[in-house]
Amino acid sequence: MGGITFQFQYLLMSLLGVGVGIIFGALPGMTATMAIAIFLPLTYAYDLNTSLYLLLGLYVGGISGGLIPAILVNIPGTPSSICTGFDGHPMAMRGEGERALKIGITASFIGGMVSLVFLWFFTPPLAKFAINFGAVEKFLIILFAMTIIAALSKGDMLMGIFSGFVGVLISLMGNFAYNGMNRMIPTSGILKLKMRNGFALLPVMIGLFALMQIFQEAETGMKENDFKTNLDTQTRKFKFSDLKGQGINFIRSAIIGTFVGVLPGVGGSAASLLSYSQAKNFSKHPEELGKGSVEGLVASECANNGLTGGALIPLLSLGIPGDSTTAVLVGAFLLQGVTVGPLFISENPILWKSILLGLFIANIFMFILMFYPIKWISKIINLPKGRLYPVIILLCVVGAYSANNGNMFDVWSMILFGFGFYILNKFGMTTAPFLIGFILGKNLEEYFIDAIQGSGGSLGIFFSSTIGNVIWVLIAVSIFYSIWDATKDSRKARKAAKAAK
Amino acid sequence: MFHIDFKFSQAHLIVPRIIAWVLVILLVAILIRRIVRCIKTKKPFFNKDFRLLVKGWDKVRLIGYLVLLCLYPLAMQAIHFLPASIIFMFLFNVIFNGVEHVKGFVAAVKAKEGWSNPSFRSIIISLIVSVVSSVLIWLIFGTLFKITLP
Repeated sequence: MGGITFQFQYLLMSLLGVGVGIIFGALPGMTATMAIAIFLPLTYAYDLNTSLYLLLGLYVGGISGGLIPAILVNIPGTPSSICTGFDGHPMAMRGEGERALKIGITASFIGGMVSLVFLWFFTPPLAKFAINFGAVEKFLIILFAMTIIAALSKGDMLMGIFSGFVGVLISLMGNFAYNGMNRMIPTSGILKLKMRNGFALLPVMIGLFALMQIFQEAETGMKENDFKTNLDTQTRKFKFSDLKGQGINFIRSAIIGTFVGVLPGVGGSAASLLSYSQAKNFSKHPEELGKGSVEGLVASECANNGLTGGALIPLLSLGIPGDSTTAVLVGAFLLQGVTVGPLFISENPILWKSILLGLFIANIFMFILMFYPIKWISKIINLPKGRLYPVIILLCVVGAYSANNGNMFDVWSMILFGFGFYILNKFGMTTAPFLIGFILGKNLEEYFIDAIQGSGGSLGIFFSSTIGNVIWVLIAVSIFYSIWDATKDSRKARKAAKAAK
Repeated sequence: MFHIDFKFSQAHLIVPRIIAWVLVILLVAILIRRIVRCIKTKKPFFNKDFRLLVKGWDKVRLIGYLVLLCLYPLAMQAIHFLPASIIFMFLFNVIFNGVEHVKGFVAAVKAKEGWSNPSFRSIIISLIVSVVSSVLIWLIFGTLFKITLP
């Protein structure tokens, strides 16, 4: 990797990131996204290059740590480990907990490495292709990302799109640099000054992914985990030969994870589910899946770590975050004044190499930190949340305050978004589409204004290019797919209800 | 319909207005869908079983968390970061780990019970966690990394 002056500091940051990420991933209720959001302020003290090692470590560690509670107590630490418990937990129940954890860790490592290769090979050509995009295509790509986020997020498509557009609207609050006019903010008083630039990204992210989670936990009484995990008496020990015959499963699952990661907003749980169902379809013994099969465990863990590299592909080539965690990573770039998009790789070759190297090192650290001391690491799941959350609140306040070099308004914004979304979430509003809308909102406006200014106000400009029309087709397909999918699901639900009667 | 009257002075309102209209349309679509579903399933429009908060929600932890969260920034402005953080971290620890320990702590002190009493232990741990975490974050963020603290 020419061009990078490698420093010992990078290794330390990566190690710190992976270690903290594993703790966040392993504790049910805490996520990789939360870890990155909380640790973003620390990146102020370093340049982006160094910060990336920390953030990528948190990302990889956070996704990987989720397998520990999934296997040992059948509660996924992160949504992306949803299928890990299907086979991992039955193995733990029959005294093969350590073996299951080691299989999961190895699968996670391979999944992460395969996705890294895809990231390395696919991002530069995609970015090169996107360099030719004008304002129209860039606008349509964002629109496509927003529809696909909602379309592919299982559940309520309309609410998903609605949440995304609310995010866009809120991101537009404040001054419009193009003509220097303010909009959607008070016209006088202290708030006019404080809100001149709208809401800052970091407080919003911390509010959404840390404070809101604590509100949800506080509502239900913040019950402490008291999981009984005994890894001392094992009936069968792990051997690398346990993974014999899993080669195709590894590759297939990692590729599924990577490609699901590429689709904006789909998330790790979908990668895990899709990969698991494919493993079942291709398995010679599908009846064994769900009863403690190595095949199922490999499929789930390989796919969710495959997602890490995949989600970075649209981020670094098009500037579109693949999931909420990469959306928070966009925040890290923006805070350091770096814009991600088609020009990112050509303008920041060293940063690009740092990302690849950072992911590579983070995966190696994840393997070393989790594989060998797994007996001790697995005790993390019983860390008392009642002691951790106050420290997290303290970090959140420090982070929000430092977002604009010391502004108490940002702390209030964080509390407002944390509490506001805790309530709105109960009415179906979803955080991931909202955050992606909030991050992309200003770009959406910029490209739209650029396009119509060039056309003298004619909206026909949005249908004038071939690439643009292809993106329109993709938008239509994603909407029709989601309508079809929702209809299919409701039919299934009605049939099931009838059968139950 | 396929033309926007582009005026430089009004450019800042174009996209917010479009987004506002999109949101109105989406909201109407959500309402229509709800009405159709209610008619199909013969259920009332307003779900009587809907609960904003889960049954038996924890009043002390939820309200306590919200109140402390709102008072904490004010305290930081009034008495500065470190003292305010130590006090509020202690209070957060107490409400998250059970306010009943306060009573238990007082009783334990009166009965001259020490570490063996769970309430005594909980309050002392709260105190240690609040002092150590606040001082560490103040040192690491404020002194070592020179990040602006409240």
